[in-house]
Amino acid sequence: MDILLNEEEEMLKKSAREFLEAECPPSLARDMEKDPLGYPPELWKKLADLGWLGLALPEKYDGQGLPLTHLGIILGEVGRAIVPVPLHSTMTAALTIAKHGTEAQRQETLPGVSRGATILTWAFTERDPRYVPESIQMQAVARGDSYILNGSKMFVDNFNVAQKCLVPCRTAPPSSGKSGISLFLVDTSSAGISHTPLVTMAKDKQSKVNFSNVRIPRASLVGKLNEGWTIVEHMLDLGTALLCAQMEGCARKDTEMATDYAKHRIAFGRPIGAFQSVQHMCADMLMWVDGTQLLTYEALWRIDQGLPASIEVSQAKAFGNEKCEAAVRYCQMIHGGIGFIMEFNQNLWFRRVSAWTMRLGTTYDHRGRVARALLDRPGPVRLGESQYESAPSR
Amino acid sequence: MNFDWTPEQEALRKEVRDFIRENMTKRLGGEMGEEMEEGADRERSRALRKKIGEKGWLAISWPKEYGGQGGDRMSQYIVEEEFARVGMGVGGGGSGAGAILGAGTEEQKRYFVPKVIAGEMSFCLGFTEPQGGADLAGLQCRAVRDGDFYTINGQKMFTSGAHNATHIYLMARTDPAAERHRGITILLVPMDTPGITVRPLWTVQNDPPAPPGTTYGMGRTNEVFFEDVRVPISCRLGDENMGWFIGAQGLNLDRVGASRYLISVHMDEDIINWAKESDLGGYSVKDDPAVRDKLAELWIEAQVCRLMTMRSMSIVQRDQDFTYEGSAEKVMAPEHGVTASEAISQILGPYAQLLNGSEGAVESGIYAHNLMGAFQSGINHGSVQIMRDQVARRGLGMPRG
Ligand SMILES: Cc1cc2nc3c(=O)[nH]c(=O)nc-3n(C[C@H](O)[C@H](O)[C@H](O)COP(=O)(O)OP(=O)(O)OC[C@H]3O[C@@H](n4cnc5c(N)ncnc54)[C@H](O)[C@@H]3O)c2cc1C
Repeated sequence: MDILLNEEEEMLKKSAREFLEAECPPSLARDMEKDPLGYPPELWKKLADLGWLGLALPEKYDGQGLPLTHLGIILGEVGRAIVPVPLHSTMTAALTIAKHGTEAQRQETLPGVSRGATILTWAFTERDPRYVPESIQMQAVARGDSYILNGSKMFVDNFNVAQKCLVPCRTAPPSSGKSGISLFLVDTSSAGISHTPLVTMAKDKQSKVNFSNVRIPRASLVGKLNEGWTIVEHMLDLGTALLCAQMEGCARKDTEMATDYAKHRIAFGRPIGAFQSVQHMCADMLMWVDGTQLLTYEALWRIDQGLPASIEVSQAKAFGNEKCEAAVRYCQMIHGGIGFIMEFNQNLWFRRVSAWTMRLGTTYDHRGRVARALLDRPGPVRLGESQYESAPSR
Repeated sequence: MNFDWTPEQEALRKEVRDFIRENMTKRLGGEMGEEMEEGADRERSRALRKKIGEKGWLAISWPKEYGGQGGDRMSQYIVEEEFARVGMGVGGGGSGAGAILGAGTEEQKRYFVPKVIAGEMSFCLGFTEPQGGADLAGLQCRAVRDGDFYTINGQKMFTSGAHNATHIYLMARTDPAAERHRGITILLVPMDTPGITVRPLWTVQNDPPAPPGTTYGMGRTNEVFFEDVRVPISCRLGDENMGWFIGAQGLNLDRVGASRYLISVHMDEDIINWAKESDLGGYSVKDDPAVRDKLAELWIEAQVCRLMTMRSMSIVQRDQDFTYEGSAEKVMAPEHGVTASEAISQILGPYAQLLNGSEGAVESGIYAHNLMGAFQSGINHGSVQIMRDQVARRGLGMPRG
């Protein structure tokens, strides 16, 4: 037990920060909000050259096989510098393929990801915004050596630039629960797919994607037919933990900027940061992002160790959603009126953190999950111990 | 980063747990932990402490030559946490013997530390005075040097355990002319020195007595009066007028660790386990959607408290100093205790008023007593306001007001 970063982790964090500070000024994020691609391909290539894109992928597919916690540290820095790259969606899908895909699927996607040639995404949500099996309605029907996909997905990240997308569908209608769901790796250029961009608070690239009689090969199936839910759940947990890392890094940078502003902005003859009420807002901001970071690191560490982690992931997202939002709201308030002005940079961080709190599970969703683990399991709970049914009581 | 215990530490935890199951009740732990209940069975508790000492579980991380085990801080944490669950302190803390280890003379270390570990000596803490505690550097209790002696005059307030302790770890003013942080000296004064008077201050937890395990369930604290109390200069800890700086590290360590963590979060575990079993006339508490959401929220915050504690322990284990982390923990955990005890009062409704011994009381009324005590954790050893000042100033470099 030593939950501080070790030397290697500190070094990674430092070098990532230095690189991004040099390469990614806030103006880049601002420019990309208006850019049709939404990311600068040259920067993406540089990330590949640095080895970041293959960092947590197996060496066999040109990756480095480093721990997931390292990727979490990188995503924290990406959030901090609000780097406009499709890293989160690509990593969420790539790590899912690395773990659950067929050998052919891995060969076909992962080396390309490591090289910076392939961008990936995943599509879960339809009409019902919750992350429960019931919200998957989209159909995939087997026909000959193909599946035919019909339905639509909302809030799909970076679909405009992704080559491939992981899509969970119902393959055994009229099922509605966990069974009967299958996961497919779909080529985004397949005939019958169309997408409409959404106009979002973070001005990132999300789409509504329509699938109309889309024919994909049988070999697109990831995992077992009708048993895709556990893979999907794992993918969502992974994506959620990584998003928490990004959200925490972003909220921390905002906190630092607001604190700095408070040290210099003068009111009533002294820096506003000398007023105790402002100091205590800043102290709370720091404790909230620290709390989010600690919960997130524990979740990522458990996933990396192959331990059950759904409770830790939900703890991180439920806490982070509320507390990172509160922190960036305080940052806005400390900036007074200027925080509301588009031309001033602060809102770039505020809009992103806020948007991320709404994605991959709300506070209520995640607390519901924690409540189920605590209350619907036989036997008492004990602080500091694993609350998983199947886990050995330690 | 590593969030796991080693197999040896897991085994240690299990061994301690088994020992507690075989040898202790919550009531006995409570008596030993606080050493301030009237009627406490001293013989029995001394024998038990001896047995725990023979296991090598007292002050594990303190040096062997002074009665510790020379072991690692995390193992000590594990033992502290298990014993804190039954209300017993086995660590040693920061102020008192901990500070003597840091700043004492060789003679003081040999005289005090082994006896404190064995439970034969104990310190009460003489910081707070009637005119204030948060502004500790404003203390007025005077110690005047004449030759090889100090003469002490003044009053301390809220001196918990003063009626049982063998010594007081006293902060007194030795140079009223100096800048206030630079005129304070720490004295280790035997409580049986002539001129010391101890008077009880009964708390809201005294009648009926709070059940063992209550967050700030102490029924009694004290006022201590000093009238021409004369002690030799060998009672001084560290240099004259350096008491503020000598005491700081001890105070920091008092703010963190197993006991502070558990008094703030134990009720989360208890209420969840109670809710799982409870049925109030057909109303299943655990199936109430509002309660479920609240319990999950509390549990998640408790995890933040746990991780902040682990962060502090990781820093101590690496032999590093806190920047602001101890102060952050001292805000997060006590405020969580308040949030939790208030939320539980709304989960239990009218049952949450019922005190220890009442007909219908839930779990001996512990939740009612917790509600009365929890906020106190946010006052003692640096109030949450003062702790937030420190987070802002040390953690973020904000200017003084
Ligand atoms: C049960 C119990 C046991 C105790 N045990 C001990 C003990 O063993 N030894 C010991 O020495 N003391 C002990 N104390 C005392 C405790 O440490 C003090 O109560 C505490 O330090 C606060 O001091 P005070 O009560 O004088 O309140 P004050 O110092 O008067 O503070 C009152 C309020 O004002 C706030 N405040 C003060 N200054 C500021 C500021 N700059 N900014 C914002 N807010 C501020 C405080 O946070 C607090 O909320 C104990 C108290 C109790 C109730």
